[in-house]
Amino acid sequence: MDFEFTKEEKALQEEVREFMKKESTPEMLKETEDMGDIYGGPEGRKIIQKMAAKGWLTPTWPKEYGGLGVSDVASYMIREEMGYHGLPFGFVAAHMAGPTILRFGSDEMKKKWLPRIASGELEFALGYTEPQAGSDLSALNLRAEDKGDYFLLNGNKLFNTSCHIADCHWLACRTDFDVAKHKGVSMMIVDLKSPGITISPLITMAGWQTNEVVYEDVRVPKENLVGEKNKGFYYLMAALDFERMFPLGRYHRVFDELVEYTKKTIVDGKTLSKDPLIRQKLAQLSTEIEVTRLLYYQLAHILDKGGIPNYQSSMEKTFATECAQRIVNVGMDILGLYGQIKEGSKWAQLKGKVEKFYRTSIVETIYAGTSEIQRNIIAQRGLGLPR
Amino acid sequence: MDYDLNEEQELLKKAAKGFLSKECKPLFVREMEENPHGITPELWQKMAELGWMGLIFPEEYGGIGGSYLDLMVLLVEMGYSCLPGPFFSTVILGGMTLMEAGNEEKKQKLLPGIAEGKIFVTLALTEAIAGYSPERIAVKAEKDADDFVINGTKLFVPDAHLANYIICVARTKEGENKEDGITLFLVDAKSQGVVITPLKTFAGDKLNEVVFNNVKVPKGNILGELDKGWPIVKKVLQKAAIAKCAEMVGGGQRALELAIEQVSEREQFGVKVGSFQAVQHHCANIVTYLDTSRLMTHQAAWRISEGLSCEREIAMTKAWVTDSCRSLVALAHQAVGGTGFMEEHDLQLYFRRTKAAGVYFGNADFHREALADVMGL
Repeated sequence: MDFEFTKEEKALQEEVREFMKKESTPEMLKETEDMGDIYGGPEGRKIIQKMAAKGWLTPTWPKEYGGLGVSDVASYMIREEMGYHGLPFGFVAAHMAGPTILRFGSDEMKKKWLPRIASGELEFALGYTEPQAGSDLSALNLRAEDKGDYFLLNGNKLFNTSCHIADCHWLACRTDFDVAKHKGVSMMIVDLKSPGITISPLITMAGWQTNEVVYEDVRVPKENLVGEKNKGFYYLMAALDFERMFPLGRYHRVFDELVEYTKKTIVDGKTLSKDPLIRQKLAQLSTEIEVTRLLYYQLAHILDKGGIPNYQSSMEKTFATECAQRIVNVGMDILGLYGQIKEGSKWAQLKGKVEKFYRTSIVETIYAGTSEIQRNIIAQRGLGLPR
Repeated sequence: MDYDLNEEQELLKKAAKGFLSKECKPLFVREMEENPHGITPELWQKMAELGWMGLIFPEEYGGIGGSYLDLMVLLVEMGYSCLPGPFFSTVILGGMTLMEAGNEEKKQKLLPGIAEGKIFVTLALTEAIAGYSPERIAVKAEKDADDFVINGTKLFVPDAHLANYIICVARTKEGENKEDGITLFLVDAKSQGVVITPLKTFAGDKLNEVVFNNVKVPKGNILGELDKGWPIVKKVLQKAAIAKCAEMVGGGQRALELAIEQVSEREQFGVKVGSFQAVQHHCANIVTYLDTSRLMTHQAAWRISEGLSCEREIAMTKAWVTDSCRSLVALAHQAVGGTGFMEEHDLQLYFRRTKAAGVYFGNADFHREALADVMGL
């Protein structure tokens, strides 16, 4: 047993932290916060491409495709630091599409896409959800007709975040309507500038943008099909096993700032941190953050052993996102009336971060599989209960 | 990072599970709750022969020289089987205190006997104003020539009815600093003036009131230094807290299994109860409480074993495991339904034991407060 980083991992962590502190700009931090931690904005691209040049965006990938060939623990550590230091950490190309291409793509596809993904040059947008296909992803029906040397695409996607700033759509579409729902899905890479694609913004309560995307007679070259036709749902599910995780970094940072706030804020002649109830709440959250850390690195440990996380990734995602909500809820309680004041006012505390993250946290238990779906997975796959 | 037990630990786990599944069946557990001794000499001897009582003692004291992490593996299995008896009091509270504070002569005299299963030792710490802070130590020991004379009442002393020796935590000096002036005395349980009265407890633990009535103890029986006993107590309490966590994790594992067995078999509305999402979500929460408790316990035990700083992790772990394991057994009851409320169903054993275990060595609030200190709040 060993619950600490190796000497090499610790050294890498120091290097990563130094880099992030040095290279972060107020513009990048603001852009990342305003966009919801997704990658693709001009400021984010600057810092991430510098980082990617060191191999830190895809550290577990083989060197020939722009990785470092290091452990998953190191990779998870870097992502955690990205969240903590306010860098974008929601990557579709580097952390979802790329690994799938690496696993299931042809050699041509790997050569064509992976180096550009690893360098941070390209970002994808996740193209899964449709109006009638949310938790039940297999109900997706954006139609892709086989036209010989290309596919012709028609249909609607909803809540496809990143489409307005990404380069390509990592698209799940239906290539066969006559078989069981999950057996007729294919994965494709679509240039988001293709004629026939209309992206309309949807603004969330967090102030972030997500999108509705309409496909009208969009042509996609055959070479952009990922792996085999009609195997898409399998790839998508496999990718979730490998990639489903939630780094708590961003909320961990808010928690640390909240702790400092209670240490220096004096109410009725003593600091808030001496209030017994506040002490209990902060100690509880600190414990939950530690629990999340263990669940998070457990996934990396399983991957490093050559295994595939099973129900453990659902457990980590659920625990971490629910913990995030508890952190900001306690934060709002501690700030009291001040919690409402938004950034920009002289009365705003912690730059209005707590109210902002209070709003953002609500989606974390919904997207990438709701907490309810995750609990189904834990019960059915982890404990063997009937579907 | 490596989350796994090593090969020897896996073997120890398997062997302990096999042994306890034969020797410590639920019926036996129920019998021992009613039995005034709480253990049979036969089982105790068999455990000694397996080397369990000497697991963590160095070889020169008749032990095996195992690590704290090895002990944790064993305790998880003991918790799984609800093993009754004085293992915890003798080996952890007694044995570890002797290891920490006993001089060579005391260690030579007692540890091999404990390892062989021939000597029982317990720790008399808590009192009427019960708690795990130095302010709560009021039982007095006063110097009288070459002896000390102890007066006062200790409460909730585990297995004192079996003990050959009771380590009494007594106040030898009054002052501003409550941590100063506490001394550990090794008291022969047969000493004149020691009166032991068993307490009836809801989890079947054999706790006792121990009255010290002018009990004379030679000064040579001080463990560690005069007035400097509290740091030793604190160390032992930390190890005991994580040891309790290990028991709770084992119990939680069994509670999960009992819940899964029931919901996988029982049918209502023509389908297995376990196919309902409401029930599945209870089960998902149970296994989340369990896995997180296990991970936290492993990490804390590993840090103790490695001699790393661990005050923070111990406080977090005892707080987390106490709350989580209680919640998980309660959820298991909800999943199992009316059957689990029956005395003959095993789940109730765990419901009672988990609550008791949570209270020992500081409940969740206590440890969160300790953590708040570590956090500099």
